[in-house]
Amino acid sequence: MAWDELLRFLRGPMFYAALVFFLFGMFFRLFRVVLLGWQRDRVPSKGSKIGGVVITYLKSILILPFIPWVKLTFNKNALTYVAGGVFHLSLFGIIFFGAPHMLVWKSILGFGWPTLPAPYVDWLAAIGIISLVALLINRLVHPVLKKITRTADWFNWTIVFLPFITGYVMSRHLWFEYQAAFSLHMIAVDLLLIWIPLSRISHFMLYFFSRTIHGAQFGKRAVTP
Amino acid sequence: MNAESAVSANVVETGKAKSTRSETAVNALIRETGGWVASQLEACTRCGLCADGCHYYQATGEPSYSPVWKIEILRRAYEQRFTLGGRLRLAVGLEKPITDEDLEHWSKIVFEACTVCNKCSLVCPMGIDLGPIIHRVRGALTAAGVTPKDLHDAVQKQIEIGSPLGLTLDRYQERLEWITDEWEVDIPMNKKGADTLVAFTSIEMMKFPSTIAAIATILNKAGENWTISTKGREMVNFGFFEGSDEHTRLFLSRLFDAAKELGVKRIMVSECGHAYDALRWTAANLVQVPKGLTVTHIIAVMTDYIRSGRIKLKKGAYDNGTITFHDACKIQRRGSHIKEPREILKMLAPNSFKELTPNREQSICCGGGGGVISIKEADPLRFAAFGLKMDQMNKIGAKTVCMVCSNCLLQFNDGLDYYKSDIKARSLSDLVSKAME
Amino acid sequence: MAEKTIYQHLKEEGVSRREFMKFCGLLAGLMGVEFSPPVKALGAVAGPSPEKMVADALKSKPRVPIIWLELQDCAGCTEAISRSWSPSLVKLVLNKIALDYQETLMAAAGFQAEEAKKEAMEKYKGKYVLVVEGSPAIGEDQVFCTIGGRGNIDLLNEAAEGAAAIIATGNCAAFGGIPKANPNPTNARGVWEVITSKPVLNIPGCPAIPEVTTGTIVYFLVMGKLPEMDSLNRPMTFYGHTIHDHCLRRPFYDAGKYADSFDDDGARAGHCLYKLGCKGPTTYNACSSLKWYQGLSFPVQSNHPCLACSQPNFWDGGGFYQGQSAPLNRPDLAAFGIAAGAGAAVGVALAGANSINKKRAEHESKKEK
Repeated sequence: MAWDELLRFLRGPMFYAALVFFLFGMFFRLFRVVLLGWQRDRVPSKGSKIGGVVITYLKSILILPFIPWVKLTFNKNALTYVAGGVFHLSLFGIIFFGAPHMLVWKSILGFGWPTLPAPYVDWLAAIGIISLVALLINRLVHPVLKKITRTADWFNWTIVFLPFITGYVMSRHLWFEYQAAFSLHMIAVDLLLIWIPLSRISHFMLYFFSRTIHGAQFGKRAVTP
Repeated sequence: MNAESAVSANVVETGKAKSTRSETAVNALIRETGGWVASQLEACTRCGLCADGCHYYQATGEPSYSPVWKIEILRRAYEQRFTLGGRLRLAVGLEKPITDEDLEHWSKIVFEACTVCNKCSLVCPMGIDLGPIIHRVRGALTAAGVTPKDLHDAVQKQIEIGSPLGLTLDRYQERLEWITDEWEVDIPMNKKGADTLVAFTSIEMMKFPSTIAAIATILNKAGENWTISTKGREMVNFGFFEGSDEHTRLFLSRLFDAAKELGVKRIMVSECGHAYDALRWTAANLVQVPKGLTVTHIIAVMTDYIRSGRIKLKKGAYDNGTITFHDACKIQRRGSHIKEPREILKMLAPNSFKELTPNREQSICCGGGGGVISIKEADPLRFAAFGLKMDQMNKIGAKTVCMVCSNCLLQFNDGLDYYKSDIKARSLSDLVSKAME
Repeated sequence: MAEKTIYQHLKEEGVSRREFMKFCGLLAGLMGVEFSPPVKALGAVAGPSPEKMVADALKSKPRVPIIWLELQDCAGCTEAISRSWSPSLVKLVLNKIALDYQETLMAAAGFQAEEAKKEAMEKYKGKYVLVVEGSPAIGEDQVFCTIGGRGNIDLLNEAAEGAAAIIATGNCAAFGGIPKANPNPTNARGVWEVITSKPVLNIPGCPAIPEVTTGTIVYFLVMGKLPEMDSLNRPMTFYGHTIHDHCLRRPFYDAGKYADSFDDDGARAGHCLYKLGCKGPTTYNACSSLKWYQGLSFPVQSNHPCLACSQPNFWDGGGFYQGQSAPLNRPDLAAFGIAAGAGAAVGVALAGANSINKKRAEHESKKEK
């Protein structure tokens, strides 16, 4: 009875507990940051701040993650950029357009949307896993990353990697019986949900702050961000 | 705020008791940390990509020169004071408190290995505006009194004498007289009712008088109603290098006071980068800018003259040998005057003007800005960084390189000398003044 | 007196030798004798053909009676068995071979029936097979389920005591089934949770596939022991794979072709029903390989997602038409609101503390000057 009971717990109470904690944590982070006070920028603008913000989002979301050579000094570290970009593509592809994940959204939000065929999702997952491994190796050998990496960063990597690998094992029906793989995947996901607000994976939210600031600062000066 | 800034001008306690230094630094770091800094600090994913935007890291491969490491001290201070996790880690000893040694370390990398050129912010996938954040780190280190001695002395000189190079008012006037004679230009002084107040930098005064003459020639030729002021004679703002808001305010208000006194409509920054950043893009947040006063840069003014026909250029005047343009961090990347110099150069050298790669807002910094050039200890580093610039120029076979920043020009002269290159570094105003019909 | 063998019994019932051999072949196939590891271990594989082996066993073994106990049930499993695709087979096994007590099917009723059971239990003590259908109800002193005025747990214990083997057929008997569904007012359990002294073989399903029930009974009759079981005490032969493993729509799953509703093009084209809530991937049963009604069809083939009726707690395992991956037991929306609000409140509090922190730092900075 073990896996079945465990799975029901992980898919049910544990998942929602993790989700509730996630919400709690993210709101906590949001308010802690936002309420620290903001200084008004009194400098008269030359260009349009909003224009800068729009351009920077278009560039950073659509172009730059995939074309490292846009920035001409990247020759030394293209790997981080490509692997990072591809990883995020894979991540979003899977969690929004993988059928099982769409069903999770559907059960929470009440509506669904078309999904990608399973083989595509599997390929995306494989690419995501490969890019994560590449990023791990990079973190192990790159001198700057060696200097700035702290314990939490290894946790970040591991906790992001686990849902990928368990999800892949589960959807490909490798090694474990389905319920065991499903349970492992849910453990990984619940762990991730809890870990996000405690770590730098929360950049999915704070990214919008820094990116907006960046766009506004460059837009103000009428320089392409 | 700005009222008291003038009062408490001579600060930077050198005799501060050692044990409280780090505390002072931490206080200074978090004092200014609002949502603006905090949100960006928390957005950092520690991917280390910013290192590839930094010319010092590119040139040396030293990991502590990566921008993310430069703001690490701020990150630590922020977490130790502002976040529960950080406090916990500090309490159980997982994280060490900031020590005086740390301050020394960061003083070295933040002042000597950073020109605050902000290229890293373009590289950052999160778009974190690293330059201004590093500026704050500098400010905190200055508050704790660990500014490099050369820079500290220069600031003291600017406070006391009015020029970081120690150019006294008498010497200043002598020098101007000599320039007036040598190049036969009129330089109006303390002229009430002028439209434009021009201030020059001590670097120009001492090292590039020809630039001053060139600017004066251009302004006169265009029939500009301009003046210089003995009260606000120094354009550079070493307080801005220090990151000290207080000193920045002091030096800014000297200029603004002069502008108010003479009743000018605008201040024109001569070929100086950080002064433009300070006056145009920072001043309004630090001091009360006199109403109706605008700040502009010589490159914008020159281009206006050419566009409106107030001065005419000989087409193709410099069409002998490849000529290129160096984009300065504060004037181009952070000042937006990217199109103007190209417009001029396409007139002066339509056939031989070639771009460096990368260029425009992506340009690689000269390696001497942000006060680095004033710190003797940083010389090897700035020459190493200049190597990148050399490569860029050699790649296109440049014979002449021009720019609109005297700080860059000084760095180019030193660097070209160091690398024993034949390339000539010129000021764009100088080129323009000599190519006027 | 020597007991009758099964074959003798059948002969008396008018079964010809030809019919008997055919029946043995069917049983052998059903039991999976050819592939069953214990059989291999016995070295029987090298010997005669499987049907011969079954036939030999039936010829030599004494007839074993079956006592079929119904507790909290709907008689659905009995229904299913009586309407099995191979009525001759099931009849042979249950009517002709063994069934001594089955409340729904037996002619006797009331005290007569109870007498018959008592008699069989005494006569075949330690030899009979106990089949349980329906879940035992422990709650309120067994008052929710009584037969002839006696509590169901007492009856179950009594019948179990003398049983050579206990088989729980249907999800109710195996795992508590529908009676155990939230809030479980009768405190229903699976039989194996009540009887712990002996192994209980589970044949879950709603209803259990009749061929699986009969096949398992025959296995016991032939081999004299229960078949190999998994961790949930289900016979490996029938529960070794998931519905998904042998599903005829599996290629569509692998190709990512799904039906999005019950009457869209995908559904008409027979695409995978995963998005419509199919629980096939986590459901262990033989539906997709053995099928129902003489191999005619099974739910997924008939365009309905698998409900996981053979899994524990299937009634509480999420909506039948909700995706397999969808989380279960969503709390009230208020919980999310409270979490967000609490997060915001703590955030505001810390931001407030930090602002004081900042002011103090500013103050300190000024004092230092």
